[in-house]
Amino acid sequence: MQEVTPQSYTLVITGAPYASQAPQTALEFARAARASGHRIKRVFLYGDGVQLASALTAPPSDESHWPRVWAEFLTSEGIPGIVCIASALRRGLVDENERKRHELTASNLRPPFIIAGLGEWVEAQRGDSRVLYFHGAR
Amino acid sequence: MSRTLIIVDTPPYGSWGGREALDMVFSLAAFDQEVSLLFLDAGVHWLRKGQAPEDIRQKSAERNLLAAPVFGVEALLADDGACQTYGLSEDRLLDGVTRVTADAALLAGFDHIAFAS
Repeated sequence: MQEVTPQSYTLVITGAPYASQAPQTALEFARAARASGHRIKRVFLYGDGVQLASALTAPPSDESHWPRVWAEFLTSEGIPGIVCIASALRRGLVDENERKRHELTASNLRPPFIIAGLGEWVEAQRGDSRVLYFHGAR
Repeated sequence: MSRTLIIVDTPPYGSWGGREALDMVFSLAAFDQEVSLLFLDAGVHWLRKGQAPEDIRQKSAERNLLAAPVFGVEALLADDGACQTYGLSEDRLLDGVTRVTADAALLAGFDHIAFAS
């Protein structure tokens, strides 16, 4: 394989699993990038993309389980998976802290995803990593 | 400092995508990053004067956008061709909007360009 200069990437996923191809395309990109020696600095879920971090997704057994597959990839590669708090709360995705704060009956954030603010995305924008967006269908 | 352009090409109120694009813009501005908004295609409807979304129980996009300069957003840009397509003459546009031709020369002025959804 040709020598490449390692790049650092931030992936922003705004398309939901099972409604769009976005999480799947992003995962294929991330795997290819890692295989070529590039770095994935972080994955940021925004808008409908936050559905990827649900611990309650239960697709039919003959379909890919995108939240689980993504979570396993993030864990094995040690990549931070960050879920935008405003997008998450609107769509019913909460961790234990948010469950308590909003007095909800349950939490459903799948590890290793964590909830944080848009500041994490801003950090990526101003940093040296290339930011790639994976959008859903309109 | 790097300059960011966030592009909105969907009309307001039909989805939350544009609203979440605005959140991204305001976040960049809050962290003192140079950021502008470009409205393309049906996205130019965001810039229409006299929006009345109360009946559909949504927050006014117009009010949000009028606050943009206060929050440090550099510019609200509207694609001139799209404005013509949708009959948005100068007097129908929000104050403070700059009409531009959304071409390669315009985009070349930015370091980061993203569609928010």
